Amino acid sequence: MDSELCSVGVDIGGTFTDLVYRTAQGLRVHKLLTTRQDESLAFLQGLDALEVAAQAQVAHGTTVATNALLEHRGARTALIVTAGFGDILTIGRQARPALYRLSFAPRFCPAPEELTGEVAERVLPTGEILLALDPAEARRVVEECLQRGAESLAVCLLFSFANPQHEQMIGEIAAQCARERQRSLFVSLSSEILPEYREFERASTTVLNAYVAPILGRYLENLEQGLLRRGHRSLWVMQSSGGILSANAARREAVRSLLSGPAAGVTGAFHTARQAGFDHLITFDMGGTSTDVSLLDGAIRRTSEGSVEGWPARTPMMDIHTVGAGGGSIAWVDSGGALRVGPQSAGSQPGPACYGRGGSEAPFTVTDANLLLGRLHPDYFLGGRMRLDRAAAQRSAAPLADRLGMSQLALARGVIRIANAHIEQALRVISVERGFDPRAFTLLPFGGAGPMHALDLAAALHIRQVLIPRYPGVLSALGLTLADYVKDYSQTVMWPLAQTDLGLFRQAFAPLLQRAAHDLAQEGFQPAEIHFEPAVDLRYKGQSFELTIALEVLPEDSSAGAIYQPAALAARLFAAHQQRYGYAVTQAVEVVTVRLAGRGLRPQAEESALPASHAAAKAAAHTEILFDDHFLPAAVYAREHLQPGHKLQGAAMIVQEDATSIIPPGWSGQVDERLNLIFRPTNGTEAADA
Amino acid sequence: MPDPVLLEILKNLLSAVAEEMGVTLGRTAYSPNIKERRDYSCAVFDACADMVAQAAHIPVHLGAMPLSVQACLQRFGRLEEDDIAILNDPFSGGSHLPDITLVSPVYWQGDLLGYVASRAHHADVGGIAPGSMPLARELFQEGLIIPPVKLQRAGVLNEALLELITRNTRTPAERLGDLSAQIAAQHVGIRRLQALAERYQVGVLSEYMLHLQNYAETMMRRLLAEIPAGRYTFRDVLDDDGFGHTDLPICVTVIAHPQKSQETMLTIDFGGSAPQTEGGVNAVYAVTLSAVFYVLRCLLADDSVPTNAGIFRPVQVIAPPGTLVNAQFPASVAAGNVETSQRITDVLLGAFAQALPGRVPAASQGTMNNLTIGASSTAGEGQARFAYYETIGGGMGASATASGLSGAHVHMTNTLNTPCEALEYAYPLRVREYHLRRGSGGAGAQHGGDGLYREIELLADATVTILSERRAHAPYGLFGGQDGAPGENSHFEGETRRILPGKCSFQARRGDRIGIATPGGGGYGDLPQETC
Repeated sequence: MDSELCSVGVDIGGTFTDLVYRTAQGLRVHKLLTTRQDESLAFLQGLDALEVAAQAQVAHGTTVATNALLEHRGARTALIVTAGFGDILTIGRQARPALYRLSFAPRFCPAPEELTGEVAERVLPTGEILLALDPAEARRVVEECLQRGAESLAVCLLFSFANPQHEQMIGEIAAQCARERQRSLFVSLSSEILPEYREFERASTTVLNAYVAPILGRYLENLEQGLLRRGHRSLWVMQSSGGILSANAARREAVRSLLSGPAAGVTGAFHTARQAGFDHLITFDMGGTSTDVSLLDGAIRRTSEGSVEGWPARTPMMDIHTVGAGGGSIAWVDSGGALRVGPQSAGSQPGPACYGRGGSEAPFTVTDANLLLGRLHPDYFLGGRMRLDRAAAQRSAAPLADRLGMSQLALARGVIRIANAHIEQALRVISVERGFDPRAFTLLPFGGAGPMHALDLAAALHIRQVLIPRYPGVLSALGLTLADYVKDYSQTVMWPLAQTDLGLFRQAFAPLLQRAAHDLAQEGFQPAEIHFEPAVDLRYKGQSFELTIALEVLPEDSSAGAIYQPAALAARLFAAHQQRYGYAVTQAVEVVTVRLAGRGLRPQAEESALPASHAAAKAAAHTEILFDDHFLPAAVYAREHLQPGHKLQGAAMIVQEDATSIIPPGWSGQVDERLNLIFRPTNGTEAADA
Repeated sequence: MPDPVLLEILKNLLSAVAEEMGVTLGRTAYSPNIKERRDYSCAVFDACADMVAQAAHIPVHLGAMPLSVQACLQRFGRLEEDDIAILNDPFSGGSHLPDITLVSPVYWQGDLLGYVASRAHHADVGGIAPGSMPLARELFQEGLIIPPVKLQRAGVLNEALLELITRNTRTPAERLGDLSAQIAAQHVGIRRLQALAERYQVGVLSEYMLHLQNYAETMMRRLLAEIPAGRYTFRDVLDDDGFGHTDLPICVTVIAHPQKSQETMLTIDFGGSAPQTEGGVNAVYAVTLSAVFYVLRCLLADDSVPTNAGIFRPVQVIAPPGTLVNAQFPASVAAGNVETSQRITDVLLGAFAQALPGRVPAASQGTMNNLTIGASSTAGEGQARFAYYETIGGGMGASATASGLSGAHVHMTNTLNTPCEALEYAYPLRVREYHLRRGSGGAGAQHGGDGLYREIELLADATVTILSERRAHAPYGLFGGQDGAPGENSHFEGETRRILPGKCSFQARRGDRIGIATPGGGGYGDLPQETC
């Protein structure tokens, strides 16, 4: 891979397309409106505007696959399963989606019932074949799917992860049938996408892949042509795990990018924080409709428990918790007289009342509340390009305030407290519920609204350090310029740990390693740029949730003996169990799944440190902000004029084009050498609870 | 008047306490029944033992949990700091023996804040059949009875008691693991509630616990005000009790606005229900309360209403002692919790369908299809002891606006299935078929959901116990919709198929297959007229 430091990250969101262009000379940022009809238009316009060099690596975060699923615009998808299990998707886990509801609207299924085929065959947990697949029957079933208009085919047979032979046969037959009929048919095998046990989750993941892959494929092809005309020969796509894949791999395994929306931002946040000297972070990305929260304990934490619209997508993703509270969240009063905030959102269209686009019916939102409290400055929103309408915000607040018998300011303050309580709860889920004490972490807010709420949230959680990055609003595009190539491989084995030895692990990892080495070489990585990260899923025998234990070396390494020893692995499980659940026992352990991530390293970029300024920060203006019950005078600083070494004292407001930061009294901060803002409670005492 | 902001914040925080207890319990438990199927519930109570928040897990635990706390207080007068009480006695705070409940008081700086409780279905608590869901004639045959006793006294665990409990089950290591998980959940609940007291002050917290009940009560009263004054009666039957007593009626009369004062807006009277019977379909009062609670909570139709004691305040429940809906000691009760609770729900919904037409669906499958397969140590040489328990979903009743879900758990339970691939690794069993039973849902303007068919092959000799309902009497359709198809249980020995009764327990041999066909849901409304 070309090691020259030159890359561009393009993140396409609902409203804006963000670009960050990284060269040896530094970073350049561009923001333009997303072109909804064809997202590649704004993408290419942005590249042109930044005059991106032809040799630059282009990395892309896209929600094309996710939107296709949410809007039910995927490929016409067939599913072939073991005979007797044809309703696997309908039955799911047999639970109803809500406990106290007597009636449910019909649920969207990405593989319709009339396109589900069954084949007589049976593989046992050991991989032995109990009933052999009849190729003639398989052909008949595939033909039927094609006749009914299938454009894409998912295959998920019982225990196929233990022996993929039958699935592979069907895959070959399907390819052959499609060729004969001159039809294009995308085929996805569960034993390739997710060779792990639990048939419903594996089937769902495979079906989602088949459903969105053709759509993502078409989009990427179109985009690649545009890029090729500009001389760019490669395109990388962000996955849910936080690693990037080549467009070629991404279109085959589209399910891996379904939950990639928040992944690039966390990658960018981690990079920014590490450079500033922090690696234990809690990040929160507060946008218009929701807030994504994640925790990093020296590394990005991953999970495989994702789902979209109730359909499990069990490929690795970042451990991110989402809560329906954002700047556009609407305030309302329920029939029991409680003030509520969200989950309905005014989004970006018409947006909060103060955007002035909602007319007299505009709802009162979190952003409007921030404006009334003086926490947003009407003159400095979006770099002054958009003036916020205070009167409109007041008009939308009036009916709610009347109904609750509160002043408008008390209402606004209540709305902020409730929104903060929702986010605080999400921050607790990601930390306390996972066994981490938030006080040992640095809070890193991003997204347009994050820095406005960060210090109040830090106070509530007793977090004593907050880092506000230089560009909170384009952190995702920044992350795209930095993310490594990562391809994940797994295999369920289900061994009693006591009966394992190094040889067995070597045997299990060998095929994974072989595939990883092959794939990475294909993508152009040199051996020195390749890093393998083995892991095992362990559990106590009889439990049904596993913990993933990352291992330092592969089983063929000379130091592997000690690490892969059953007693050593059991000790790792005990420690992880203790950390996560607060207790551990000595009991028989099972090795459920072996995992391997093949990482292709990208050149690590360092933003150069700037010299400290000895002058004091100059306020651009003065304003008043409501804290607790009083309006306090506050200085307004322009972010672009803040220099390393500048010290700031609450109450203050920092404005920039992509975000506003609020510094309550009791907090003081400093600009670091890479222009991040770092805040701590003044005099080391804890800031007051919000 | 409560502050509408603090009301909303504490509503979420208190329910988060229960949720986090549930997360801890589910994650740390040992048995697939708790971890994979999530057969457990957690709740938070105020200092008067009134429920203020419950994590939405299993409805049949709902009304029963407050009685657990009350039973502990009756027994001990008061619980001291760092005590944990344990119980499963159906006649003293429990529901059926496998459901073991832990109750802890929560103190903060000497003040009693309230209580936290967790209830989990343990896969074996002894008794005459592996899995402890037997066909039994009295409680003593169903397993170990634990009256309210202290599992932990002032922070010191009673190891002897723990040993006594584990010694009385077929799977002691699993029980110990699951009980440890419940203890972990209790600790989490205690710590979280204390943290709320520290942050919001004890007085404020207690005051808002009360406000939240008032809030739920307000919402409930608003709903009940919509019901026209009058009496609404409904009757349905249980198939049998497994010992030859058939067609056992459950009756309910819902009386809207019985008094002028409106203190009680609804009286729910189960008078006329059959006397308690020999087999285990007897429901204790706690189970009946759970069904009432569940139905009222569903009728509120607003997910944001906190599930707490306020819902019950305007409602009076009359369940005559000695009947199927308020069985007395020492009746056997294993199936009362899982089967009779479903029928109680059916009759309640049948009555409310008249009181609030258009808002209530037709009958759902009305059973949990409890299947236990297990082998004890006497099963033969080289055989491991095991106990596998599952419940099987079926058809949901159709409503005025939608067809019923197919192959889902209904009403009083919402446990997950065990994946075939997990089951075959863990037990000497093989799943042969698992699919919908097409056409089993009742026809109508909206059709009922289809039931399931699940067939399991035994790879070892084992005892099979089935507790199921709606094999003789079908789930009812409403307003012209047709009934759902009843369920059917089969035993295959080679090519020979034997239809099994709804409730049975027998020895099966390696190679035999058990087939469970679950009922469909009832249809709703007349079928559209065919155009000629």
